[in-house]
Amino acid sequence: MSPVEQIAQRSDQVDAQVASVFEQTQPRVTLAAVGGYGRRELFPHSDVDLLLLIDSQLSAEEREPVAEFLRLLWDSGLRVSQSVRTAAECCEIHDGNLELTISLLDHRYLAGDRKRYDQLAERFPKFLNAQRADIARHLCQMTRARHAKYGTTIYHLEPNVKEHPGGLRDLHVLHWLSLLRNSMEAPPPAAPEFLFETRIFLHNHSSRDNNLLSFDAQEAISDAPAAFMRRYYRSARDIFRTVVPALDTNEATGNSLLTTFRDWRGRVSTTEFTVARERVLLREPGLLRTDPTAISRLVQFAARHQLQLAADTERRVREALENGAPVAADWENLRPLLILPHSTLGLRALQETGALERILPDWKNIDCLVIRDFSHRYTVDEHTLQAISILESLRETTDPLRRRFADLLSEIEQPDVLRMALLLHDIGKGGGTGEHASVSVQLAGPALERMHAPEAVRSAVLFLIEHHIDLSSVMSSRDLSDPATGRDVGERVGTIERLKLLTLLTYADISAVHPNAMTPWRLEQLWATYLIAYSELTKELDSERIDPLGMRPDLAWFLEGFPKRYLRTHSEAEILRHHTLARQRLPAMDLFRAGGAYRITVISEDRPALLVSVSGALAGFGMNILKAEAFVNARQQLLATLTFSDPHRTLELNPPEAGRLRDTVLRTLEGKLDVAALLKKRRQPALPGNGRIQVSVAFNQKASDRATLIEIVAEDRPGLLYDLCNTLAGSGCNIEVVLIDTEAHKALDVFYVTAGGKKLEPALEVELKEKLIGACR
Amino acid sequence: MKKIEAVIQPHKLEEVREALKNIGIDGMTITEVRGHGRQKGHKEIYRGMEYHVDLLPKIKIETVVADSRSEEVIQAIAGSARSGKIGDGKIFVFEVADAVRIRNEDRGEGAL
Repeated sequence: MSPVEQIAQRSDQVDAQVASVFEQTQPRVTLAAVGGYGRRELFPHSDVDLLLLIDSQLSAEEREPVAEFLRLLWDSGLRVSQSVRTAAECCEIHDGNLELTISLLDHRYLAGDRKRYDQLAERFPKFLNAQRADIARHLCQMTRARHAKYGTTIYHLEPNVKEHPGGLRDLHVLHWLSLLRNSMEAPPPAAPEFLFETRIFLHNHSSRDNNLLSFDAQEAISDAPAAFMRRYYRSARDIFRTVVPALDTNEATGNSLLTTFRDWRGRVSTTEFTVARERVLLREPGLLRTDPTAISRLVQFAARHQLQLAADTERRVREALENGAPVAADWENLRPLLILPHSTLGLRALQETGALERILPDWKNIDCLVIRDFSHRYTVDEHTLQAISILESLRETTDPLRRRFADLLSEIEQPDVLRMALLLHDIGKGGGTGEHASVSVQLAGPALERMHAPEAVRSAVLFLIEHHIDLSSVMSSRDLSDPATGRDVGERVGTIERLKLLTLLTYADISAVHPNAMTPWRLEQLWATYLIAYSELTKELDSERIDPLGMRPDLAWFLEGFPKRYLRTHSEAEILRHHTLARQRLPAMDLFRAGGAYRITVISEDRPALLVSVSGALAGFGMNILKAEAFVNARQQLLATLTFSDPHRTLELNPPEAGRLRDTVLRTLEGKLDVAALLKKRRQPALPGNGRIQVSVAFNQKASDRATLIEIVAEDRPGLLYDLCNTLAGSGCNIEVVLIDTEAHKALDVFYVTAGGKKLEPALEVELKEKLIGACR
Repeated sequence: MKKIEAVIQPHKLEEVREALKNIGIDGMTITEVRGHGRQKGHKEIYRGMEYHVDLLPKIKIETVVADSRSEEVIQAIAGSARSGKIGDGKIFVFEVADAVRIRNEDRGEGAL
């Protein structure tokens, strides 16, 4: 017997049982079956929903047989859920109890006065006609709230086959919406036999109205639980894909303000894509068959404008892929998506259409994969996408504990690396032997090579995947007050950029385990772990120097005395280029374009005002310094690398200006050009009103054995570095090490300075602090 | 019976569990908590900005044992959780009136 037949048969049996008790007790009501029972879909332990129709309030004498009727039904083992109403009451909207109206959509006569039932059967459709839009709107709201309650995802490890998104309740919603709209424009997906069969099993297995497909139940229902669950998710995905567009359609007809907004969003349409009701449609679906980059552009468009694909678009992409349409699977095509603020929308579109598996064949290892872990709530693929989504929503957080991580997110240089690492961090959970982090690395390496990801991206992504458990483990098992812990983490991550990336990856990974996994406790611990490693890495700038022992003599000549950090932050090719530069007549410089910015490397004999010259020359050209670092080697050569943006596009629009900039920097370095005079010619940049960033200048005498650490946080502006360096030089300070960083409008500057070869005296600190604060304004 | 509640440094959890296991105590409740004792949090300096960490992450271990074993358990926890530094935590001992095993309604020490 098929599951549909089984539940219909159970419904028939209950009909007979109810009729018999009705006959026996003769209550003066008309009996109708409603809800699931009304549809003749009665699962073994489901509630039996009854409507007891009356003409008017029952007298005490009339109530007795009704009570007896219900008591006997309960005693016979039925879980009765009854409502007693007049036909008029059935045709009213009851605030807060829409369920009653909805249950009446599936009513059928059982016993009692037939005329009374016929009255209802006649009045109810008229009531529906008048109220259908309102009821449909309420139904959509209830459905959205239910979806949100369960994270709007079907990929729960232990799903509730009735209530969760993609479950039976969504099938009911489709059925009700079609009744309300008097149409079948959104036909339910293929017969829900699989879900029916599963729910019947769950009821019988636990001998109660249990709809939770727990790990135990998954093992009881199938010898191959993993394969069974994949089948479950496919079925739920089909239902969810049908119900969401149906909700969209109904909501669009209801709310004029929402519709107006959605029409307005239609303005982002392009020659390739149109936007209707917040969904992306294709203007030329044929392109999918011929243009390998069409899908990339489509998902980038969705992610850029925070939109989802229309159901029709998803279907077309799926069909095109099934028919062998080409998909560009290289890094150049994926990267633009990964740097967008809402990249998850694009990634989800890739996953839903099957394109993600074409780009990353290893994705199929974790597609709908259930890993038995009591703390995890989602399948591995869903956990992965949730992690990226959590990272993206971090930008909007107002929680002070999370705000600190949001600040880190705005500081990182490689959002694409972080998202790629998240995308691949658990890819090894699908198989292989050993720790999943190492299996993930083994799979991710070749995947990145196939995509032709640049070497720097590959090494950073693999580093993050390999170490993605490290911070979680440190924060729960190591003494964070022990300096050795900070040293160990600092040693492992190597650079501040990697520390930030790993901290954010850990934040997202823990948060995506389940909605309450990232507790304030864990937020504090993770932040404390970040701080001890950060402090170690900034301290190390000054203290740990490169030991030339065992190096090539010519390289040792150049590298000796630089902080160890230098080796970790520069590729071998860069180090060789710097080495070549150092062998030229000094001062020497190198200027090239790096991504959206420019980078200048200068090597000169150590002189206190070098940074003043270079930063001043750049400010004179209107350039904005984003990052800078300067180190001295044992030969007293100063190597400074400055990354700057060109806000007025001077170098791009006037290529000869690059030569003039080069010349100006060299002349200032050689002392042939006065920087102060150069800057005078330039209009002073307008400072932002009521600077949002509070200036802070802090001195630390303990961070280094021989220099004073000055940390400065200020509103960034062109010429700031010049002003700071000029102030330090003007007070007789020598800059030993400098590390400059900017995040949006905030400049974060770290200087290690000496005066007369020693740490700063307290009196000089006081004087300098005031001057530096003045220079920041 | 005594209920022993210990608030310890998070990284000491494994050592304390091992010490309790070695004396045959397997049942316990572990909670991630935040709070402060006399040390009242501490100051952190990050990028020159000073901020106060009021509530420090700690781990709370709760276990109920027979009166005769309470001293032994206290010693095991104190010995394994001690680093000698401020913030090592505290142990609190309470009298327990009764214990009930829900499954079969065993009472008193038999329910432990």
